[in-house]
Amino acid sequence: MAAAVADSRSAFGIEGMHCSNCAASVERALRSLEGIHSVSVNAATGKARVDWDSGKLTLKPIFAAIRKLGFRPVPLAGEAAEAAAVKERRSALKRIGVAGLGMMQTMMFVYALYASGAHGIDPGIARYLQIAGMLLTTPVLLYSGMPFYQAALHDLQRRRVGMDVPVALALTVAFTASVYHTLLGTGEVYYDSVTMFIFLLSLGRFAEMTVRQRSLNAGEALARTVPAEATRVNTQGVTEKVPLAYVNPGDRLRVVKGAAVPVDALLVSSLASLDESLITGESRPVARRPGDAVAGGAINTGNTIEVICEKPAAQSTLAGIIELLQLASSEKPRTVAVADRIASWFSIGTLALALAVAIFWSVIDPQRAMPATLAVLVVTCPCALSLAIPATFAAATSYLARRGLLVVKPDAIERLRQVDSVLLDKTGTLTDGAAAATVVNTIGITPAEALTMAAALERGSDHPLARVFQPFADPDVTAVDFHEHPGHGVEAVVQDRRWKIGTREFVAGPSNAEDDSLLYLKSDDGLAATFAIREHVVPDAADSVRELQLQGLNVIIASGDTPEAVRAVAATLGIGEYHARMTPRHKLEFVEQTQAKGHCVLMVGDGINDAPVLAAASVSCAMTQGAAIAQAAADLLLLNGSLRSLATGVRVAIHARRVVRQNLTWALVYNLVSVPLAAAGLMAPWVAALGMSISSLAVVTNAARLAWDRT
Amino acid sequence: MTIVLLLIPLGLVLVALAAWALFWAVDSGQYDGDVEAQGLIAVERDEPA
Repeated sequence: MAAAVADSRSAFGIEGMHCSNCAASVERALRSLEGIHSVSVNAATGKARVDWDSGKLTLKPIFAAIRKLGFRPVPLAGEAAEAAAVKERRSALKRIGVAGLGMMQTMMFVYALYASGAHGIDPGIARYLQIAGMLLTTPVLLYSGMPFYQAALHDLQRRRVGMDVPVALALTVAFTASVYHTLLGTGEVYYDSVTMFIFLLSLGRFAEMTVRQRSLNAGEALARTVPAEATRVNTQGVTEKVPLAYVNPGDRLRVVKGAAVPVDALLVSSLASLDESLITGESRPVARRPGDAVAGGAINTGNTIEVICEKPAAQSTLAGIIELLQLASSEKPRTVAVADRIASWFSIGTLALALAVAIFWSVIDPQRAMPATLAVLVVTCPCALSLAIPATFAAATSYLARRGLLVVKPDAIERLRQVDSVLLDKTGTLTDGAAAATVVNTIGITPAEALTMAAALERGSDHPLARVFQPFADPDVTAVDFHEHPGHGVEAVVQDRRWKIGTREFVAGPSNAEDDSLLYLKSDDGLAATFAIREHVVPDAADSVRELQLQGLNVIIASGDTPEAVRAVAATLGIGEYHARMTPRHKLEFVEQTQAKGHCVLMVGDGINDAPVLAAASVSCAMTQGAAIAQAAADLLLLNGSLRSLATGVRVAIHARRVVRQNLTWALVYNLVSVPLAAAGLMAPWVAALGMSISSLAVVTNAARLAWDRT
Repeated sequence: MTIVLLLIPLGLVLVALAAWALFWAVDSGQYDGDVEAQGLIAVERDEPA
């Protein structure tokens, strides 16, 4: 089985999972299939991720295995997921309604039995009331109580104990005893307790479901904005609606105001105003000129535009983001896996305690045995472990995704809160690569010629600074025999002469010149020109750096650039520690040294050139846009180019930790107080059911708070 | 007290009626989260078949 080659990967939703044990059983069933490489199922988000060998397996038997367990695999994105959510919600509402109506009416009947106690009640009437209670409770148990039985049954089939097993046991014991006593005509009935349990517990479940559906599907929210069909303009200028899957590169598409650009495309009509917040988290509309690339998922906020499709819908930037989000949300952080195991033991402990309580009270005071045992079974709440921890991580992920920070590795949130040093690359991270070149002086050529020459030389270079010369490019002046010397400069032959452009050392040999921020241009005849480059610092970099520093993080710049250029940026941003002329290898060593001193380093880079450095850092963040998203190897992806989202990320990670702590503390206090009370017979069963519902609701709401609060 | 012999079954019937009404309301989308949507049905244009 381990020999399977994972060449296919799929993420999908699974309906009907109530707890971590359901997820575990799905995982185990899938792992036993031939050709499965790895499986990860997340109960809180109801999502699964499977890697498999397409030579040995297809999706069909995978889905069949899930169905066999009684769950339903559903496609994740778009309308199917939406429909599944609506269906789940409606069926939950009906179950609550039936339980609620049944509970109220049962209470009326049973109250007569209680109230009559001292004065006595006609035995015939009493029996009649009991039978009426039984008639009401039976449908409530069979219909509204079904989810608890299904979940408990799944657990038992997998030889595991989840949080629904004690509940199902309590319902069965109370109902069976009541029916027995009703038929026998003597003894207590507990119909009111049964309906009350079901009502209160279903209510709690419903609230959890609402919270989960609302806050945990950032990926689906994105997917839903992409239209299912596009408007294509054919060669005769006639428009037709075509399904998105049939849109091919080269098709001309029309996008009206308010609609989303369906695919990654090139703008061909007039100036456009686009809201790209889905892709970058940046909510201000951006202007795009004809010939510019527009990303799929961008909303057209201006007039109707026309674009030429560049890539099929399945390969668009947005599709890449959605897939990453879905893969991330279907993976399980380590803390969650540990919590799952503890929750399972907790449920087993509950059963053992209930048995002990039942035996103890049967001996001491048989009258109180039943209520005390029921209370113990129902009151214990492992939900802080099995529901709240995964919900916390999912809420944090969803919150950050809306702000342009994708958490690709779920563990990253846990590691992010420990970060104490932030290592920033300069170019492309703090500065956007936009820079202005000015001519300082020239020898033997005009300033305009110098700029044109520099543009020709730098055209072949990927270095962000190379772009500053492109406005001065002349198509007639081209370079041949191009050589790039990373960190130093480039050389090439232009108009039959060999030219060099770059640092002073590179161009003119070793020197002790003070100002390193200049670029030098030299021909065979000697130095020809000197350029000054002023870099453009990303607009909110200064604020973001301050925010990171205020959180107690040590912000460090590590750049391959010259000391002078790095110093200038560091001074602008108020960063004290900076290192210049760092090759990727230097950066790697620096990260390793810093970590050896016990620091936890967050490395921010472009994700492609500095991949080894990112891999070595405790947490890695790649600033990336467009097509590069899918290739970037990092824990976090910053899609909007704003470091502010990173500061938010660190804050949310710390907050998430706090929420997990709060929830665990609450769970501990709640169970320590309620379980002894219930075991001692001091807690009425209905108080127990209410306590359990409120407790589970409290922890899940607390977790979801992450997704709501503050901007 | 013989009246309870009639009233209790009546209570059961009323509960069943209430449950039926709830099912109808849920299935027709009254609780699907958008409070405004149901009110707008009346002013919506009929979809041409």
